[in-house]
Amino acid sequence: MAKEIFMPKLSSTMESGTILQWIKNEGDPVDMGEPVFEVMSDKINIEVEAYEEGFLLKKYYNVDDVVPVNTVVGYIGEKDEEVPDTPPGNTENSESKAEPEPDQNETVADDSSSSVTQIEQGQIRATPAARRVAKEEGADLSDMTGSGPKQRIQQQDVHEFVQNAQKTPKATPLARKWAEEQNADLNTVEGSGPGGKIYTKDLSAAQNDTVSAEPDRIPVKGIRKVVADRMTESAAAVPHVTLYSDVDMTELVRMRSRLQDKIIEQTGAKLSYTEIMMKAAASALERHPYINASLSPDQQEILLHRDVNLGLAVATEQGLVVPVLHHAQHKGLVELVKESKQLAADARNQQLKPQQMQGGTFTISNLGMYAVDGFTPIINQPEAAILGVGQMKETPVGENGSVVLRPMTTFSLSFDHRVVDGAPAAAFLTELKQLLEDPYELLM
Amino acid sequence: MREITYVEALRECMSQEMRENENVFLMGEDIGVYGGAFGVTRGMIEEFGPERVRNTPISEAGITGSAIGSALTGMQPIVELQFSDFITIAMDQLANQAAKLRYMYGGKGNVPMVLRTPAGSGTGAAAQHSQSLEAWVAHIPGLKVVQPSTAYDAKGLLKAAIDDPNPVIFYEHKLLYKTSSDDVPEDPYSIPLGQADIKREGTDVTIVATSVMVHRALEAAEKLAEEGINVEVIDPRSIVPLDEETIVQSVIKTNRVVVVHEAVKRGGYGGEIASMITESEAFDFLDAPVKRLGASPVPVPYNPELEKAMTPQTEDLIQACRETLQRA
Amino acid sequence: MLKSVELLPDKSKDELTRMLKEKWTIRYFDEKVDEFFAKGMIHGTTHLCVGQEPTATGPCSVLRDEDKITSTHRGHGHCIAKGADINLMMAELFGRSTGYCKGKGGSMHIADVEKGNLGANGIVGGGIPLATGAALTSKLKNQGDVILSYFGDGAANEGSFHESLNLASIWGLPVVFICENNQYGMSGSVKEMVNIENIAERASSYGIPGVVVDGNDLIEIMNETHKAVKHAREGGGPVLIEAKTYRWKGHSKSDARKYRTREEEQAWKDKDGIKRFRDLLISEELLTEEEAENLRKQAKQDVEEAVQYAEESPEPGLDTLLEDVYA
Repeated sequence: MAKEIFMPKLSSTMESGTILQWIKNEGDPVDMGEPVFEVMSDKINIEVEAYEEGFLLKKYYNVDDVVPVNTVVGYIGEKDEEVPDTPPGNTENSESKAEPEPDQNETVADDSSSSVTQIEQGQIRATPAARRVAKEEGADLSDMTGSGPKQRIQQQDVHEFVQNAQKTPKATPLARKWAEEQNADLNTVEGSGPGGKIYTKDLSAAQNDTVSAEPDRIPVKGIRKVVADRMTESAAAVPHVTLYSDVDMTELVRMRSRLQDKIIEQTGAKLSYTEIMMKAAASALERHPYINASLSPDQQEILLHRDVNLGLAVATEQGLVVPVLHHAQHKGLVELVKESKQLAADARNQQLKPQQMQGGTFTISNLGMYAVDGFTPIINQPEAAILGVGQMKETPVGENGSVVLRPMTTFSLSFDHRVVDGAPAAAFLTELKQLLEDPYELLM
Repeated sequence: MREITYVEALRECMSQEMRENENVFLMGEDIGVYGGAFGVTRGMIEEFGPERVRNTPISEAGITGSAIGSALTGMQPIVELQFSDFITIAMDQLANQAAKLRYMYGGKGNVPMVLRTPAGSGTGAAAQHSQSLEAWVAHIPGLKVVQPSTAYDAKGLLKAAIDDPNPVIFYEHKLLYKTSSDDVPEDPYSIPLGQADIKREGTDVTIVATSVMVHRALEAAEKLAEEGINVEVIDPRSIVPLDEETIVQSVIKTNRVVVVHEAVKRGGYGGEIASMITESEAFDFLDAPVKRLGASPVPVPYNPELEKAMTPQTEDLIQACRETLQRA
Repeated sequence: MLKSVELLPDKSKDELTRMLKEKWTIRYFDEKVDEFFAKGMIHGTTHLCVGQEPTATGPCSVLRDEDKITSTHRGHGHCIAKGADINLMMAELFGRSTGYCKGKGGSMHIADVEKGNLGANGIVGGGIPLATGAALTSKLKNQGDVILSYFGDGAANEGSFHESLNLASIWGLPVVFICENNQYGMSGSVKEMVNIENIAERASSYGIPGVVVDGNDLIEIMNETHKAVKHAREGGGPVLIEAKTYRWKGHSKSDARKYRTREEEQAWKDKDGIKRFRDLLISEELLTEEEAENLRKQAKQDVEEAVQYAEESPEPGLDTLLEDVYA
């Protein structure tokens, strides 16, 4: 009996995965535990291993296809065994129903993603309340994903959808369709209708203004999609406030050069400013629990975390990744150097395990290697705050009545005003500044 | 206010009515010196005598039919049927006579009678003495059907039933007879039939519960409150007439509803309530399917654990609410 | 009043001739209904009491206006005998809004509660407990009213008969149970369905008097009912009267009467209670042949007028559908 191969659900938030490559081809023998295909999702790549032995009988999806979790992507079984031509669960495929074991078949029906909200062509699973709200708001249920059982669209889903939709420009359906086809950004078009509503004529006018070469098209998927979704969600949902502070880095530079040889000796890697900043941040966070905090999913509680788990924003070819360094408050510089170097390397090589990307309580984003003085980082939800670090540069500062040059860096702290107020956030940033300007305190 | 039991409330209501209104009299098996199978009429024959507290032979059809005949000719009889299961024996008289005479006769003649009878399981009385057959009579146009859940409601609803010019089937519950309310006024009062009572206000899910299930719903609501689930409990009090508006408005508010009764779920009145909700304007406010709880489709078993397993318990209600809120 | 036979109730000549006319009215009413059914002018079903006129007219003639009756599915005669307006009866059979039940009851449910007719009943034995209850009212309220409960030989085998006679007996209720034994419960012959000679014998098991009368002898029926009603009114409790009679027509509109012979039918028709009473009144010189013929024609004319009334009456509005379910 042939066994299905599913798109695995690799994290609680994963809804679909992109097939990066098929390691086995149809007809290849497969041993239990052998990788069959590679998936990218939620910022990581994972080789999916076989649970059965036999032959790979069928591949339903191609490389770069985005497949909902728990969808059947192929079959493993005896050589020449019959399997359906199309994945089970698709309505056009009727013969396959008898093939998979009934219990697994049910699992597919219950959990698989897009095939469930849309029961059949034109039929959408939604509660009466969701339908009513959608009608009142003029929203299209087929654009939504449900959070209820069998992905049923609930009232709340419609509310959320409408809220998000309001952030996009108003446009007629035709204009929207046209813009989509032409890959035009509605945000750059000025609408001539009431309330700035965009008509098709506005679009053609805008196009005539800016005739440009056909752009390269990059599908928004994988890490790009995750970054896009998370940032949108955070920017939309979290009331951000950003505080700035210029820090005199003189002593920190001095301390780093003194410790450098010993660190290289012990770790084989260089001590970077980031690691000292992590040490300072971990130390300050222990004393400022409201910054090392998060909002519970139902928004009913503020969780004050006992551990400081620092997220490190790492730029990779695929996009932004934030691995997490756990229990930072207990770790010395040697351990911090070792671990953060390893995390960064894993991130760039796309080898992070799911647990290495979860549980963060505070994130540091360092753009100091670029010509950036300061910036307003977007909070990595559900954390309560994020620290942005700009470049270090010689800056004239006033000191005892005269102007002197000092290596200065701008630190910016974005915080979630639902969780914490301005004063405590400012107190944290002040203490961090003191620790960075007098880093020997970190030894205490 | 003084605290009296459900039984005392019923007896007090009947006694007060009989003192005021000489058309009111009682008929039933063993309601005389014995005081009724559950003691509801205890002491009444001593006060009112055997003419007005009429101890009858074991003749459910005869008693019921005579009550109808006497009601048709100006009396206001109250019949006590010892167990509601025996309504099957009186059914011809109820369904074919009491319910229809007025309509068949073109609006001439009233049948102002009350048939009081205890229903429900939980006493180990097994299959022929534990049923909840209210849906049978609720199905018949011409009858009204009342199910009080508290001593307070029992007294006020019974007065309304006695005063009503139509035949009223008044379902008492064996497990409720000993329960008491501390808010029962001594003076007579009437609770209009067809007026539901919001036994507990809430915002997240509505439970529509009848008779003994009202108490289980309230227990479930207390426990669910600890989980942050805020339950509204509605007791229709009479299922014919049914206060549709109160139920509909509650569902519009909470978007979710669980309907529960002790009677067998299949063909039970909960199906009627559920359908009414989906046919009403509340449909567009439902954010989950209407959920129904009722007894399993089996005769009521004797063994106490089996008996409990047959009927919805507090835990079942808690689970049902969680499921409808997708928090299971 | 009468010379040849004893008549217990005090009846005048006018009263006796009125009774003769009433019996003719009953007969012509049901004959007319039969005709209309055959012609498809009336729908539903009906049960005719042609041949049973004396058991309708006799017992009702000894009642006071306040006394009450309960009737059966074969109830047109009882209804007329209790004083109903045949115009309203015929209108009801036509399903018209002017009918006794506003067109909602039909043949089997004609009632005239105000006149003391608690209703015909479509359930065999259904009216017996109602009569018992009405008698309970009379007793509890000290009204002195007597209830006459009509039922057939078939109903005597129903549980309601047993329960009601027992109740009425132990409580001493003023009710007279009158069993019109017309020999057949639909097709079931009483000889097959009852293993005693007279249903009235059952009275002894309830400790009440039981009497058998000739259903075609109006005088005998009147006398026995008169005694029973007096007995009940005076607190003696119920009486069971069995009147041996015969329905000339089939059970209902579609009955080929295969369960009995035409000879048997003819034998009963020869004992026609109307002719017998007419002949008695003539021989007693209370009535001439000519006067009798005029009465008969008048009864027939009355029925024709009832038909005309019914035909001219309006249908009930559909808006009345939901009316009168509850008071």
